This record gives sequence, C-alpha cells and structure tokens, in this order.
Amino acid sequence: MTTIPDNTPAKLDPHEAYVHGHHWRTADDEASAAKLGMWLFLATEVLMFSGFFCAYAAFRMMYEGNWVAASDHYLDWRIGGFNTIVLLLSSFTVVMAIRCAQQNRQGLLMFNLWITQLCAATFLILKVWLEYLPKLRLGEKPGALFHYVPHGDYIAGAHDHIFLSVYWIATATHGFHVLVGMFVFAWIMLRARKRHFGPNHYTALENVGLYWHLVDVIWIFLFPLLYLA
Amino acid sequence: MLANLSDTFLAGATAKSLGASQLFLASWWDELWWGGKTGQSNFAAGTDAVFFYIFWVSVAFFALLMFLMVLWAFQYRRKAGTHAPVSNSHNTKLEIAWTVIPTILLGVMFVWGFKEYARQLVAPIDSEEIQVTASQWAWEWVYPNGATTLETEVIADATAPVFALPVGRPVKFIMSSTDVIHSMFFSAFRIKRDVFPNRYTVMWVEPQELTHRVLADANGKYIKLEPIDPANPGHYLTCTEYCGDQHSQMWARIVLLSPTDYEMWKAAQASTDDIDLKTLGEMLYATKGCNACHSVDGSAKTGPTWKGSWGTQRTFDDGTSAEMDINYVRQSILEPAAHIVDGFPNQMVSYQGRLTDREIRAISVFLKTLSSSKDDQQKAQEESDAEIAAKKAAAAAGGGE
Amino acid sequence: MSGHHDVSYLAPKDGFWQTVWSWAFTVDHKKIGVMYLVAVLSAFLLGGLAAMAVRLELWSPTMTDPKTGLVTGQLLTKDLFFGFLGDNVTPNNIYNRAFSLHGTVMVFLFIIPSIPAALGNIFLPIMLGAKDVAFPKLNLFSWYIYLFGGTFAVSALLMGGVETGWTFYTPYSTTTSWGGVTAMVLGAFILGFSSILTGMNFIATVHKLRVPGMGWFDMPLFVWAIYATAIIQVLATPVLAITLMMLAFERMFHIGIFDPALGGDPVLFQHFFWFYSHPAVYIMILPGFGIASEVISVHCHKKIFGYRAIAFSSIAIAAISFLVWGHHLFTSETPAANAVFSALTFLVAVPTAIKVFNWIATMYKSSISLNTPMLYAMSFLFCFTIGGLTGPPLATLATDIMLHDTYFVVAHFHYVMMGGTVLMFIGGLHHWWPKMFGKMYNEAGAMLGCVLVFIGFNLTFMTQFFLGTQGMPRRYATYIDEFTFLHQLSTVGSLILGIGLFVHLFVFIASLMGDSKAPRNPWGGLTFEWEADSPPVEHNFPHEPVIVHGPYDYHTTTPPHCDPNEYPVPSKDELGDAH
Repeated sequence: MTTIPDNTPAKLDPHEAYVHGHHWRTADDEASAAKLGMWLFLATEVLMFSGFFCAYAAFRMMYEGNWVAASDHYLDWRIGGFNTIVLLLSSFTVVMAIRCAQQNRQGLLMFNLWITQLCAATFLILKVWLEYLPKLRLGEKPGALFHYVPHGDYIAGAHDHIFLSVYWIATATHGFHVLVGMFVFAWIMLRARKRHFGPNHYTALENVGLYWHLVDVIWIFLFPLLYLA
Repeated sequence: MLANLSDTFLAGATAKSLGASQLFLASWWDELWWGGKTGQSNFAAGTDAVFFYIFWVSVAFFALLMFLMVLWAFQYRRKAGTHAPVSNSHNTKLEIAWTVIPTILLGVMFVWGFKEYARQLVAPIDSEEIQVTASQWAWEWVYPNGATTLETEVIADATAPVFALPVGRPVKFIMSSTDVIHSMFFSAFRIKRDVFPNRYTVMWVEPQELTHRVLADANGKYIKLEPIDPANPGHYLTCTEYCGDQHSQMWARIVLLSPTDYEMWKAAQASTDDIDLKTLGEMLYATKGCNACHSVDGSAKTGPTWKGSWGTQRTFDDGTSAEMDINYVRQSILEPAAHIVDGFPNQMVSYQGRLTDREIRAISVFLKTLSSSKDDQQKAQEESDAEIAAKKAAAAAGGGE
Repeated sequence: MSGHHDVSYLAPKDGFWQTVWSWAFTVDHKKIGVMYLVAVLSAFLLGGLAAMAVRLELWSPTMTDPKTGLVTGQLLTKDLFFGFLGDNVTPNNIYNRAFSLHGTVMVFLFIIPSIPAALGNIFLPIMLGAKDVAFPKLNLFSWYIYLFGGTFAVSALLMGGVETGWTFYTPYSTTTSWGGVTAMVLGAFILGFSSILTGMNFIATVHKLRVPGMGWFDMPLFVWAIYATAIIQVLATPVLAITLMMLAFERMFHIGIFDPALGGDPVLFQHFFWFYSHPAVYIMILPGFGIASEVISVHCHKKIFGYRAIAFSSIAIAAISFLVWGHHLFTSETPAANAVFSALTFLVAVPTAIKVFNWIATMYKSSISLNTPMLYAMSFLFCFTIGGLTGPPLATLATDIMLHDTYFVVAHFHYVMMGGTVLMFIGGLHHWWPKMFGKMYNEAGAMLGCVLVFIGFNLTFMTQFFLGTQGMPRRYATYIDEFTFLHQLSTVGSLILGIGLFVHLFVFIASLMGDSKAPRNPWGGLTFEWEADSPPVEHNFPHEPVIVHGPYDYHTTTPPHCDPNEYPVPSKDELGDAH
C-alpha cells in the first residue's frame, strides 16, 4: 500500500468519483448507450400500450353510441382531469430534479423527487379510492364480471362491459407503471441521498425521468380517449 | 393415393399409343398435385392456372440458381496456395436487373391472383342458399327447403354427413359457428372460408362435374345415391381452422348431382315423417353431431357415452343427481348447461330450434335402444313401431278423404 | 474482473463451486452465449421428440386399426409425454397436445433465441472488436428470464400441456380448451421479455461499441442481420406481450375482449397475434441469413457480392415485416384488407430474392472449400430457396384461399424455418465451433450428418407440399387412405433427419471430449473473431483490435494467423480495376 499524501482533498462524492464500466471506452459512450437503451425500452412500452389503443379503436368503431354513453356514465372527467394535472406536475418536478443534479444542488434535488413521489401517490390513491373501489362496489367490472347495480337514470348498454374491460386493463396497466415508477424513484432517492448524482454523472436519474415522462404521455392519451369519449 | 398412382402407372405402362401415354402423363400430374381433382368448380381452373404460373416461374428460378450453385461449387473448388480468380464484388446493372425482373413477375402474381379471388367475392343473385352451422365437431347444412342430410358415411375415423350439391348452379353458403372458429374447405373446389361464432360469413361456388346420380324406384321415389365412376366416391369437406379435440373428424362427403337429381335428393332428405323413430334417432345421432362427443360403444369422449345410460341415475358436478328419462334428455338437448354430468366439461351448445319435438323423441328412443336393460330395448322398438304405424294410418286416412 | 487477459473464458476456476459460480453469475457475453446454446439445444431436442411423436402418429391414417381395433400411433406420444394423463383423454387429444408441444417449444424456446441469443451473444461483440455487450448485467438478467420463462412454459406443457397449437386462437383457447393454457401463455409472456432485453442490448452494442474506425459498412453482415433482428424483437415483442396478457385475463376473468359470446372480437386477437408473430418469422430467419453471408464469404475466400444490398435488404425485410401480418387472415378478413396485405406481402419477397442472388453470385469466380459449413450453406440455399419460392402461392389471394391451413403451409414454413434458420444454425455451429470451444470436430462425421439431414429434411417436407395441394388440412390426427403413402414417406424422412441430427450431436460431444486443438483461424476468415484466440480470452482480445481492412477483403488481405503461402492475394496488376 502506498501512503496517501496529506494534500488529497476530502473524500469525493460518488458522482465525482464515478468510473465507467470496464468494457466502455469513455463515460460518454456509456451514458449515451444507457440513454439509447432507455429509448428503446420506451419504444417497447409505446407498442405495448398501442395494443390497448387498437382494441379501443376497434370496439369504439363497433359500438360507437354505446361507447360514448358508457364513457359519459361510468367515468368522471373531473377525477381524470385532476389526475392529469397531478401527473403533469410530477413530470415537471422530474425535469427540475435533473436540472438540480446538473447544478449539484443536492437538497433541491431531493425536494423535487419528494414532490414527484407525492404526485405519483396522489394519482394512485385517487384512482383507487375514487374510481376502482366504487366501481367494484357497483359491479362496474370488466367483461363477464360486469354486474351493474342501477343508479341514477342510466340504462346499461349492451356492450358496457367491453368498454369497462378496455378501461380496466388500460388504466390498471398504466397504474401498474405508475407504481413501478414509485419504486424506481424510491431507489433513485436512496442513491440521491448517497450523492450518486451530480454534474458528472446523472444517467440513471435522467433515464428514470424519461420513463416517467412516457408514463405521463400515455396517460395524456388515455384520459381524453376514456373520460372525454 | 398410392393405389391411384400405381393404377395410373400400370395404365401408362401398358398403354401403347402416344395418345394414351399423354393421357397417362396428364393424369399422373393431376394425381400428384390435386389428387386427380381438377375442374370441379367454376374457380378451380383459374386458381390452378395462377398456381402453375407461380410454379413454373419458381421452377425456372430455382433450376437456374441451383445449376449455377452446383456448377460453381465444382468449377471453383479451392486449390491450396491459390487465390480466387479476380472478379467484381458488385455490378449495378446486374443488381438492378435481378431486382426489377422478380418485382415484375411478382406483380403479375398479385394482380392475377387478386382477379381470380375477386370472382369469388359476390355470389350470383339466383344462388341456391345453404345455411351452414359449424360446431364442435360437426357440420350441419340446412337446404332452402329446410332439409338437413340424413345420410352418412365413414371417412377416416369419423362418421361424416353426405351433402349433395347441384352441378351448374351457383350455391351460396351462409355460415356461422355455435362455439369456436372453424373453416369450411372444399379442396376440389379450391375454396375455403372461416366460420365464426356470432357472425356470418359467406362463400359461393358453382360445381362443375357430376360425381353421383340418384337411384329411384319405379314410382320415382328416391332410393339412394350411386357414384357414376365407382373409383370416384365424391369430394371432401374438411375443417381447416383448428377447433379442438376432434378437429380431424370434421369430414363431410360432397357429392355433385344434376339439378333434377339434386332436387329429388333434397326433397327426400326433407321428409323424415316416414322414417320410424328408432332409425331416425340413429340418423340424427350421426348427422347432428352428437357422435362427436357421445359414443355408443361405452368409450369416453368429450361427453358421457350413450350406451347403457337410459334409466340410470346421473350424478352432476353440483352433487345433485337425476334419472335419465325423456324429460332429462329433452332438457339436456335444449339447455345443456342446466346439469353437467360429474367429470365432464360444460361444452355442449343448445340445440334449441335445431331439432323438432319428434326428433327429440326419436333421440330418446334411440337412447332407449342402447339401454342395458332388454326390457327398455323392447319398449323402444314397440314405441317406434307403434308411432310409425299410427302415422301411416293417419296418412292413409287423410289420403282417403 | 481484471487480470484475465490471457485466460480462456472456458478455463475452470480453482474449485468446482467457484467454477459453477463463475458461470451462474458471469457477465461475460461468451459464457452467457454458451449457456443459451445448451438451453436452446435442449429445447430443440424436446421439440424434436414431439415432432417425432407427431410424425409417428401420422404413419397410419386412422386412430384405430380397422382390422385389430387397436389404437395405433399413440403409444410413443402418450408414453413419452402424457402417460400420466391415463385414459381420461382421447387419442386425438394426445395428438393435439403433441403438435402444440412441438410448436410452442420450437417457436418460443428454440428458434427465436437460437441464433441471436446463443451465437449472436458470443460473436456480435467480438466481431465489433468490443469487450462485451453494452449492458452485460442486463444480458445475464435476460438469460435468467429466459430460464425462468422456459421452465414455466415447459412445465406447463408437460404437466397436462396445451392443445391449442402455438397460435392460441380465441375463442378456442379462452373458453373450451383444457388446462395449462394460462401457464403456457404466461411462460411465453416472460420469454418475450428476455427477447426484448436481448434485442435492446444488441442494438446499443452495435451503436456504441464498434471499435473506433469501424463504420456501419465495415460491419460483418452477421452483425447487420442481428441488428435488423434486434429491431424487430424490440418493436414487435411488446405487442405479443400485451396480447398474451389480455388472453390470460380473458381466461382468468372473462374480460370479453376476444370472446364473441361477450361481444368481443376473435379476429382482433388474430390481428394482434400476427402483428407480432409475422415479424417474429423474420426474427427467426434474419440471423440465419447473417450466418449464410459469413459462411459463404469465408469458405469461398472471396469478397461477398453486393455487401450493401445484403445489408440494406436485412433492414428492408425488418421494416416490411411489420406490414404483412394480414396474410395470415386471408380466410377471415375483408377483401379490401386482403388485397392490401397480399400486395405488401409480395414486397418482402424482393429483398429476400436479392439476398439469394448475392450469395450465389459470391460463389462465382471464388475459391470454395467444400467443408461442412459450406455444405450447410449450400443445403441452406437449396432448401431456403424452395421455402422462399413457395411463399408467393401463399401471398397470392386465389391460391392462398386454396392452400391456407393445409399441409402446403406446413411444408412452406418448415422449408423456411428448418431449411433456412436451423440448417444455417447448424452450419454456423460448425463454422464457429473451433472458435467457441477451441477444438476441431471430425469432418467426415459432420459431413455424414449434413448429408443425412439434407436428405431426411427434404423427404420429410417435400411430400407435404403435395399433401397440401391434394387437400390435407393442418393439425389433423386422422386422414383418408389416399394420403397414406405421402405421410409414410414423410415419416421415413423425419427418421433420417433425426438420425442425422444425432450424428451431429455425437460429433460435437466427441470433439469436446477429444483433444484436436483448433488453430486461431482454421478457415482463413477476416472478421475480428478470427484474430482472437480459440477459445477467446476473458475480454476477447488482449489488446483492442485495430481495423485495417474490410470484413471481406479477401482480395487484398492475408487472413490473420494464417500462412500467406496458403492464402495468397492477387497482385495489384492482377486486380486491375476490379472491386
């Protein structure tokens, strides 16, 4: 062991001491590959959700009138709209978090991540508490499970259960992505607390941010299609 | 096929004249490609022509490519210590040529194929309309006069219905399924179409060559079908969309009759009134698809066997039980999901509207004849005889007025 | 991780468990590739046994022998796979399970991962001069996903099995079918993720890890093919995932999307399924094209003809592959849709034809070593050309209406998948065997295997074209007597094919047990893998290789580690203005 000279600076933050993987030529290559990988992953996500959108389009064409009436009756645009705003806000705070990492403002970075988590949680809580649970209670379930308990003066259409199938699987899959996002952000926050992200290195944060924007964008399509049909 | 091939070989070997050997070649060729069945429908010749256009284009390309490959593999065998002769590694003119020429040939395939396909789309307005119901695992055709076939024949392992079609008249099939997707395929006619539950699909064809004629008695009463050429038992109908357990038993025999014979055959199938209950029950068992799931020899299939079931106590999957009597049989046919015999899947579809009361009674008489009790069998025979005798008497009385 | 610059990646560690550990938790792409190789070959064996069961069942036309009344043909299938089901299933049902087992295992477990995940994993980074793939941990993760999904699927298949075929068409698969469909579908869903992650990894590797100075058109064509494949894997597989997920929900909760009884649409399922599964056909075949390009160029010792045309045609095929799925629905869709999809389908034939022309043109004025890999390449050209040329009758509307879902289709896709991909997979195994394992194999034995496979394969499937045009439908357990002769020929062919494959297995095992050490560059190849040791060291190259020539510049370059007298190059004068 060599002796450490006295004039070495105090222990470096992990983001300052970051060394790229051994099989990479430069850290830039590594970061841009990670980002490319993330974009490819996002492409797969878009294609996966496109399955729901195709199913939506096919059944809406088949059962147009029924579809619009069902959307009007079963879904409250105010809840969906509020959730849209919540998700948009969270996307903004993610961008701010990345900006903070670039400027090495560690405190504000954590703050922004907390707001993001809070938004995600709000989204899910509203979704479950104001939509899923009442729907389960009223029998507004998908497909063969549909067992409508009449309320108001609405008369159930012949294909309400198909609309609800599309609603349930699309929003549940989206909600699952939000939930996964929360776990990933929790991991990001643990790392952020250990000061893994700074001007030199913030690839993981940026990639998770990309994922989060996609989750947001998918909701921005789901909201009008389902709630404002 | 083997038998047919060897027959044609023999015919070819013994043929002396040039004409005969040409005939042999032609029949050998048709035998190999189409099982000897060409020109059986108004679409067959067109489809075959497109097919052979593609075939000969393909053969030309394949022969050229393989010839060059084998030639060069020998001509340019590696000799140690030498390098390959100098040549270019691309050639724009050549590459454009081998892009453009196949594209044109493929374009012809598309256009020609689409033209032949387009002919199949719209049925002529005067078509004979046949309603087709596919189910696991049987075909049911309802002819315009309400008749369903009463004739069956064993094909492969299956008891297959015999369906007649008129030669020279367009026939339109309006098809739907009671359960899963099936597909109706006439290989001799070169057509098929998928059959879906909860929607109708349509297909039409005009058969071209007689395969059978009707034998009638002196009063012009239908007796049976007779093949014109004993070597040609008619054509086949198969299911070409995989539909489960007995997918491979969805055969049917297609016989092509002259329009007058066809009318006579159709009329004969419509009148089940002079068939006694026992015989009718047995016919229905084979023609309505019961045989796909219920055996009469005691073996287990998708549903319980009919052998020895009459009068027994049936145990259901919900723990209840009931005796198998006429009411039980009736309910099982019309509302099959009401009681499921323990150990069997809930798979049967309702026959509501597809069987008359007399036909349901005929099935119960047939079940009775399969009873293990001699007494039941005797009763079934008596019931059947009495019913047909009463019918005949009523008809005679009616005729006498 | 450092300090292994001179040790073969296969070298065992100090102790047994250390060695096991070094494989189980490796991030070395070569080890992961070898593990994939073992897994896909096991799947091939399982799927092959199921295929033999199917062929043996089809020896006799009916289930029961008309003379003795005995159930024939079922014995092997039942004893081999489904003996535990007892007498509760009909003989037909056993047959249906056998062909479903064959299809699902061959498609999801064998042929999709075969070339990319095994040979691609090993050679893609080496051919680019890289130390590893872009995301080595993700690579290991995809391997474990594959293992998990594969175990899931195989146990679902063997414990009762599915009898839906590999296509899971609704409503049959959602309502009336038995048992393990949900488990099998989830298994395929999991396998899909493995495929997606591998594809992403390869794309990032090709983009970011090429050795400095290697442009896109300096890449070996195998890399181009794997790259095109990866694009399809990434873009198509998620649609399969969502389809299978909805299918599983349909079975569990009856959500009604695909169930006509609930107002759903079974044709929508077919669209979803084939939107993935048609491009998946190119996931299966493009890597085979890649190997063909490598093998033909190396063993002809000549620059490949039309490099750019081959490279671009791979990308063109990948792009067009997304637009042709509708030809699987010619008998269920509307005429307008059919016309469009028929036309688009013909488009895919053009780049495919161009590739075949280029390969054969490469043989012109070359210097051909007629060894096993080259024989396989020629077998491939023979069989794949037949497979390709029997595509147009199925793309043409009138003839497809006749041939759809008959044995003609069965023969066609086996000529493409087996005659294309599998033959080239085996050819590639021979081509790279010395590099992968550092041992030579017995040439005579391998050639015998090749000849048996060629004869057996063609006998098995050539007959099926005629069965198809004569009207024999797919997935039939019984048939009419007229078809007996051709079916029996086909079964005999499949036995020869099976024997040929076992010959290869023995030759490979003998090679691994033997000590015939492979030189670094046994064939005189020019791509980077022939500069590495046989077998390569842990990070592939002791020093990063330098690109000084194109991958196929046989006319200007003496292959590395080869005797210049054995591989002379033409002089400047001889070259003239060629190339």
